[in-house]
Amino acid sequence: MSSSRPAILSVAMLAVVGLLSACGAAPAPRAAAADGTPVRGGTLTYLEHQPPTCLYLPAAGFYPNGGVLNQLTDKLTWQNPQTLAVEPWIATKWTVDDDATEYTFHLRDGVTFSDGSPLDASAVAANFDVYGKGDARLKLPPAEFVSNYARSEVVNPRTVKFFFDRPSPGFLQGTSVIGAGLVSKKTIGLPYEEQCQLKNVIGSGPFTVAGQVVDKEIDLRAREDYDWAPPSSQHQGRAYLDQIKIIVTPEDSVRVGALTSGQADYVRYVQAYDERTVAAAGFTVRAEPTRGVNNGLYLRPDNELLKDARVRKALVKATDAKEVVDTLFTANYPQATSVLSHLARGHVDLSKDLAHDPAQAARLLDEAGWTKGADGLRAKDGRPLKLGVFVSGPQPLSKQTLELVAQQWAKLGVTLEIRPADAGTQAVDIKDAQKTAVSHSMVGRADQDVIKSQFHSESRDVLLSTDKRLDTLLEEQSALADPAARDAKVGEIQRYLVEHAYAIPLFEEPQVYGIAPHVRGVAFEAVARPSFYSVWLAR
Amino acid sequence: MTAHLLRRTGQALLVLWAAFTAAYLLLQAMPGDAVLIKFQNPELGLSPERIAEIRSYYDGGGYLHTLLGFLQGDFGYSVETGTPVLDRLAEGLPATAELAGAAFALAVPLAVLIAFASCHSTRLRGLLLAVPSLMVSVPVFLLGILLVQLFSFRLGLVPVIGGSRAQQLVLPVLTLAVPVSAPIAQVLARALDHALAQPYVPVVAAKGASRSRILWRHAARNALPPALTVAGLTFGELVAGSVVTETVFGRNGVGRLTEQAVDSQDTPVLLAVVVLAAAVFVLVNLLVDVLFPILDPRLA
Repeated sequence: MSSSRPAILSVAMLAVVGLLSACGAAPAPRAAAADGTPVRGGTLTYLEHQPPTCLYLPAAGFYPNGGVLNQLTDKLTWQNPQTLAVEPWIATKWTVDDDATEYTFHLRDGVTFSDGSPLDASAVAANFDVYGKGDARLKLPPAEFVSNYARSEVVNPRTVKFFFDRPSPGFLQGTSVIGAGLVSKKTIGLPYEEQCQLKNVIGSGPFTVAGQVVDKEIDLRAREDYDWAPPSSQHQGRAYLDQIKIIVTPEDSVRVGALTSGQADYVRYVQAYDERTVAAAGFTVRAEPTRGVNNGLYLRPDNELLKDARVRKALVKATDAKEVVDTLFTANYPQATSVLSHLARGHVDLSKDLAHDPAQAARLLDEAGWTKGADGLRAKDGRPLKLGVFVSGPQPLSKQTLELVAQQWAKLGVTLEIRPADAGTQAVDIKDAQKTAVSHSMVGRADQDVIKSQFHSESRDVLLSTDKRLDTLLEEQSALADPAARDAKVGEIQRYLVEHAYAIPLFEEPQVYGIAPHVRGVAFEAVARPSFYSVWLAR
Repeated sequence: MTAHLLRRTGQALLVLWAAFTAAYLLLQAMPGDAVLIKFQNPELGLSPERIAEIRSYYDGGGYLHTLLGFLQGDFGYSVETGTPVLDRLAEGLPATAELAGAAFALAVPLAVLIAFASCHSTRLRGLLLAVPSLMVSVPVFLLGILLVQLFSFRLGLVPVIGGSRAQQLVLPVLTLAVPVSAPIAQVLARALDHALAQPYVPVVAAKGASRSRILWRHAARNALPPALTVAGLTFGELVAGSVVTETVFGRNGVGRLTEQAVDSQDTPVLLAVVVLAAAVFVLVNLLVDVLFPILDPRLA
């Protein structure tokens, strides 16, 4: 038998499979319903990329968690995703004192949790006491969207007051975020491990849990007596859909294929390179902005090599964000113009300061004493200019992004050492500025406080900052009662971060969904988590 | 025979203990732990002190304590979900047993078919002998994706989302059967070749036996033991393949549980999975040992 035959054969067989898979026709998009009148009923099949983790509400920011919890819970207020204004929902009206240390909310009457217990002032107070301060006994950590919380007071069953130690102007918006979903008193009184489990999450939302196969599928059913949508919603009363099947489908190509072949209606996390396939098959690609701190590389000033601001500035100048976007992503990933998304509160356009300029980068590195050796790599006192970074699991194409940036830096003789997102090593080393000089991350929230979440040394602290000035600026921002003054302060912080070259913003990270043409009434909360309340099926 | 069986059982227990100890030590040596991975979530904003406090709550209590627990069937709690490891295994095991069992049941006849066909037909022989090499070379995840694209998305023959339990089994079983069947087919074909080259073959042929009688009555009996040994060893392939297959097809069995546990470094789950896999591996090979003398009286 000739030795080359198996190889030829393998190629031939693969080619046959390839041809077969290429020649099948894409299904024609279904005809649209004749009119736009919503139809009641039906089951929506929604494919999620990852299984939900812990469903304790303050951890709802993780998109697989938020996708479920947004259907199960209501919030005190509703943030209009178009205007970002905070509108009534469970709270019909509210008052805030001048220095934003005292909030009074008046609640809607007749709202109940799905276990039948009333959503009243004492339930709301119980929720926010935990979100504001945590509960050590129940192992419940506090939530990042509440700052300076002191205590609650139940004035009467329909009125609740919150008091703060220091001004907390972000609190009103905080009551609208995904993690501020209201759960029954029974749920909020459970220990952390119990609150993590879906079966224990009792909300007042338009859907309830009908069944669950852990890590595989969650079935939701419309709540028949739901009648407390945000007043500004056109749709009132029960949800249009009867059921939602949320199915975890980790494989990208399976999610996209299932959508275009009609096996699913709605999928989360369409990769940039799959967008064309989805659109070409007549399906909608929805890229929802996350309105927060941009996807970028964050440079840790405590790192031995990055201590020198000239080195950090050189890295900013050495990075070509446009090339990253053009090579790896699509128009749905706008190139960053600042640390914040252009849709974030208080955004200022700093693209001039962030412009790609390799010549200046080389100059800065020369000045800082990092000279190019015979191998083209820069070194100083025999030490190579080598920086470590972890691939960021939640960020789209993080590895590819970092590889491209590493190529850009290599041209200047800087080595970016990319480490795989192995959870254990990462958990240990990511908090070590010497080992992990650079952090690849982003965070979304439609409030000025988002910048504090990313950079404050007691919050996410991506810089592992010891910069007291930065902490002070972030705290000042978070305590300004006047929105315009807050926006201005947020602008100042962005300038500060860029001036000190702490950040290399790359692009504004969206959440990308693929949606079948027969799915109507598609809506999202302000930070791109889907709301299925008004969704209906035209078929 | 009884002495042999007793000795083999003793060996099996030793292997299990060694697997447990090795896995325990390796998992301890890994950097970080599940508690850190789970609770460093920046949205939770926990201090290192709080994390240390939570860690003490999950502490398995050291090697001896864990070993004693295992001996009593107590595998501890999954750090990721806070549920008993035993419950998680019980949830995943039926799906994986179904998948692996069906894949094996398909792989064996497939291997026999390829091996015997290659001995029957001289014209297609080269082609057929190349098939196992191809089957073993295609990565399982690629094969899975190709099968889904072709049979589900293009031809619409079987859904991968929704669908009945049987429908959900078709493509994963096909995917897993291919790499499992390949080594069996390879060894069986070679063993048949070897058997057919033995001096007794011309003798039976001279007595007037047909080619298929020679193949099925005489050569097959001599070729089966090596194939059986390999079939026992393919259990490893079944385990490894099910991790990938279950992930591609989103089935939640022990394979996917393993993948997630590795991801979150969920030590109690990983330890239980290693011991379970070792136990089944040992059991399968014990079974092969017992079957040998039945197939070949010379080994009795």
